[in-house]
Amino acid sequence: MPHVQIRNLKKSYGSHVALKDVNLSIERGTFFTLLGPSGCGKTTLLRAIAGFHRQDSGDILLEGASIGHLGANKRNIGMVFQDYAVFPHLSVFDNVAFGLVERKVPTAEIQQRVMAMLNTVQLYEYATRMPHELSGGQQQRVGLARALVIRPKVLLMDEPLSNLDAKLRIDLRRDIRSLQQTLGITTLYVTHDQEEALSISDQVCVLHDGVVQQVDTAWAVYNHPANRFVASFVGSNNFTELQQDASGQARVWGQPVDIAFTVRDAAVKGAVASARPEVVNINPQWTEPGIRLGATVRQCMFTGRELQVTVEVEGHGLIDALTPPSQAMVDLRPGNAVDIGIRTRDLLFFAPGETGQRLQ
Amino acid sequence: MKALQLPGFASSRRFYFSFWSVIMAISVAIIGLILVWPLVQVLVLGFYDPESSDVSFAGYAKLLTHPYYLGALWNTLLVGVCGMAGACMLGVPLAYCTARYVIKGRHLITTLAVLALVSPPFIGAYSWIIVLGKNGWLTNQMKALGVTVPTIYGAGGIILVFSLKFFPFVYLMTESALRNINRSFEEAAENLGCSSWQRFVKVTLPLVFPATSSGAILCFVLSIADFGTPSIIGRDFQTLSTLAYNQYTSEMGGTPTMAVSISMLMIVISMLAVMLQRYLIGKRRYAGSMTHRHTQKTVSGLYSWLIHGGCYGVVVLATLPIAVVMYTSFLQTSGPVFSGGFGLNSYRRVMTEVPDVIFNTFRFALIATLMITFVGAFMSYLIVRHETKLAGFLDAILMVPYVVPGVVIAIGFLLTFNTPPVDLVGTGSIIVLILFIRRLPYGVRSTSSVLRQIKPSIEEAAISLGASPAKAFFKVTVPLLLPGIIAGAMMSFITAINELSSTLLLYTAQTTTMPVKVYSAVLDGEFGIAAALSTLLLVSSGLCVYGVLHFSQSKENAFI
Repeated sequence: MPHVQIRNLKKSYGSHVALKDVNLSIERGTFFTLLGPSGCGKTTLLRAIAGFHRQDSGDILLEGASIGHLGANKRNIGMVFQDYAVFPHLSVFDNVAFGLVERKVPTAEIQQRVMAMLNTVQLYEYATRMPHELSGGQQQRVGLARALVIRPKVLLMDEPLSNLDAKLRIDLRRDIRSLQQTLGITTLYVTHDQEEALSISDQVCVLHDGVVQQVDTAWAVYNHPANRFVASFVGSNNFTELQQDASGQARVWGQPVDIAFTVRDAAVKGAVASARPEVVNINPQWTEPGIRLGATVRQCMFTGRELQVTVEVEGHGLIDALTPPSQAMVDLRPGNAVDIGIRTRDLLFFAPGETGQRLQ
Repeated sequence: MKALQLPGFASSRRFYFSFWSVIMAISVAIIGLILVWPLVQVLVLGFYDPESSDVSFAGYAKLLTHPYYLGALWNTLLVGVCGMAGACMLGVPLAYCTARYVIKGRHLITTLAVLALVSPPFIGAYSWIIVLGKNGWLTNQMKALGVTVPTIYGAGGIILVFSLKFFPFVYLMTESALRNINRSFEEAAENLGCSSWQRFVKVTLPLVFPATSSGAILCFVLSIADFGTPSIIGRDFQTLSTLAYNQYTSEMGGTPTMAVSISMLMIVISMLAVMLQRYLIGKRRYAGSMTHRHTQKTVSGLYSWLIHGGCYGVVVLATLPIAVVMYTSFLQTSGPVFSGGFGLNSYRRVMTEVPDVIFNTFRFALIATLMITFVGAFMSYLIVRHETKLAGFLDAILMVPYVVPGVVIAIGFLLTFNTPPVDLVGTGSIIVLILFIRRLPYGVRSTSSVLRQIKPSIEEAAISLGASPAKAFFKVTVPLLLPGIIAGAMMSFITAINELSSTLLLYTAQTTTMPVKVYSAVLDGEFGIAAALSTLLLVSSGLCVYGVLHFSQSKENAFI
C-alpha cells in the first residue's frame, strides 16, 4: 500500500485552476520532489497535504486513511517553510520543543529528544540562542529539527533552500538527503530548481499548469522525458522543427534522419526534435547513424568542467553544445567553421504542442 | 461545496466566517456612525441657507468671494506652505548629517526631535510668547540694550512654531529613507562622473523624495488644521481653523452654515495636498537595501564642529519651548503674577483649583486609548489578514481622520449627537468618542505595520506542529504583536492627553481637560497655571515616549 496517496485532487482560486485532478502514489521512505515553474501548483499541492488549505474535491490518504478533512494541527505531518518560520520570540530549544509541548510529552523526554535532534542537525551548542543570532542556514536547520522531532509520518519541505546562498544550498541539500535516508522518512519536497530536484530525489514529479506531466526517477525524467514540456524544463535542450521533404523523408536541422515511427503529415506539422547539448558533438569522429552539418562558432564559454560552445547553423539558428575542454576545443574562436554531429539514437521527438507526447 | 462530506471543517469554517463577519460589521458600524455620519452632516449643512433653511450655495459663495474669508484662506495657505518649507529646511539637512556622518549623541538628537514632535503645538506657541512676546524675557533683555526684536505675534510666529514643531516628521522620514538607499546608487553616480553635489541633487534627493514629501505634506496638513497656535500667537491673524471655531461659537443657536462651509474648505485643501503628493510620487516606490547600507563618515576639525553645532542647534531650538515651560512652572507666583524666585505655587494652585481637570484628562485619554487599542487590533487584523473588498474599503476610509481637522470633526459631532436618544453634548463620552475616532487610524496603522512583519508562515508552523488555530494565534502571534500594541497604545495616549482643537468646542466646566485649561489660562494671563499644567502634560508625554522607544522595534520611526 502506498504511504501517501493523492486522489483526484482539484483546487481553484476564483477562475484560476491551480490543481487539475492530481493523482499520485508515494511509497514509504521515498524522497519525492514536486518540480515545476512558479505557478504550476506544486506549493498548492504541498499546502493541501499539510492542511493549510482545503481541496475543492478529491482526497488525501496517509497510510490508507483519509486525512483530507483533518485540520492542519491534527495531521502529524512535519513542515519546513521557505522563509524558515522560526518563532522569533523563542530560543532554539523552545522552537524545537514547541511540537512536543503541544503533544504533552513529559519534560525529561522533551529535553532528551530536543537535544538529540539538535545534535543531529549540528546545532547542539546553539540551544539557548535566539533565532536572530543565527544565520539563514542555521535557522533552516532549526526549522528542520522542529519538524522532525515530532516524528511526523511525512515531512513536507516548501523550497527550503531557496533563500540560502549557492554554496550553503548544496551543503544543506546533502545534509537533508542523508538525514532523510537515515530516518527513512517519506518526504515531499517542492522546488523550482531542476538540478536540486534531480540530485536529491528518489522520485521526481514534474508539474505544469496544475497537471502532473511525469513521475519517474531523476534518470528517467532527464533521459526519457514523457513530453516536450519535461524535456525543455528539466535540463537544457536544443529544439528544432521536425520537417518532411517532398519525398516524405524526415529531416532534422535540414538533414535526413531515419526515424522508427511513422510520420503522418498532420502530426509532423508542429512536431519537434530535440538534442541535449552534451550529445551535440563538435568535429565528430564516429560513423554511427546520425546527422552532420556545417556550422559557425558564435561563442565559447569555459566553465572549468566543460566547454559550452554555441554554433550557428545557416538557416536553422543557434545550437548549444557541451564538450570536454580539450586543447583543440579551447582554441575555438568565434567565426571558426566546425562540423557538428548528433547520433540518431540521441535525438528525441515530440508531438505538436507545449506538452506534446514523446514519439517513439 | 462539499460541505456535507467535511462536517468538522465546514462547521469550523462557518464559525470562522461568522466571527470575523461580526467583527467586520461592528467595525463598519463604528466607522459609519461616528466618522462618516457626522462628516455627512457637516457636508449637507453647508448647503443650507442660515435664515430660510433652503438649499443654497450662499455659504460657499460668500466663503470664496468675501475678502474676510479669502483673507483667512490666504493666511491658512501661507502658514501651511511656509510651515512646511521651514520644516523641510530644518529637517532635510539634519537628516543628511545624521544619516551620513558620525554624530556624537545621535540618539539624543532623535529623542529631542521626538519630544518636540509629541509636545502639543500650543505649548510651543505659548512658550515663544514667554520668550519673545510683548513682555517676554528676551524682549525685555533686548529692550534694556536698546534693541527692538521683531514681533512674535502674527504670521511670523506661527510659521516659526510650525517649522520647529513639525520638522521632526521630515527629519525622521528622510533620515530613514537616506539610510535605506542602496549605497551602490550613489557609487554608480560617482563612477559615471558626478561631483558630490551633482550626485546629491541628481540621485540622492530624487530617491528620498517620496519620504521627504510624505513628511512635508503631513506638516502642511497638520499646520493648516492646527487651532491652538494661531489662536494663541496669531492675535488678529485669522486662519480657517480659528475662523471656523469663532464662527461656530458666534453662530451658536442658529444654523452654523459658515462654520461648516469653512470646515469643508479645510478638508478639500488637505485632500488636494495629499492627492498632489500622491500624484508627484506616482509609481516611484524604491525598495530599501539590506546589504549595501551606507556607513557614516567620520569628520573632524572645523567641519565636525559645524555639523555638530548645526544638528544640536536645530533640536535644542525645537525643544527650547519645553525647557522654557518647565522653567516657568517653577517660578514663584503670587496670584497670576510672577513674584520673583522659585517656588511650587503654580503646582499648588493646580492641585487645589483644577484637580478635576487633571483627572478628566487622564480618564478620557485612558478610556479612549483602551478603545483604540482594542478596536484597532481587530481592525488591523481584518485589514492585513483578510484581503476582502470590505476590508480594503475600511482601510481607505480610515484615511479620512488624517485630513479632517479636529475643529471640523467636533462640529460634526455637535451636529450629530445633539438630540435624544444620543444627546451627548456636554458629556465626557463625546470627548472620549472624539479622541477615539481622531486617533483610531494611528492605532490601526501601528498595529498593522507590526502585523505585516509577522509572516503568516509563523502561525502555520505552529499549527503544523499540533497547535489549534486559536492556540497558535495566542501562543505565537500575540506575543510577537504585543510590544507593537503597547507602543501604539502609548502613542495614542500621548495624542489623547494633548488634544486641543476638537475638545475646545466640546468641553463644559465638568469636562475640561488640561490642554483646554492651558489654552484658557494663557488667554487669561494665568501663565503660572498654564506652565504647571503644560509641564505635567510634557512629563507624561515624555514618559510615554520612553515607553515607545523601549517597546517598539522601529524606535523613533514609530512616531511617523
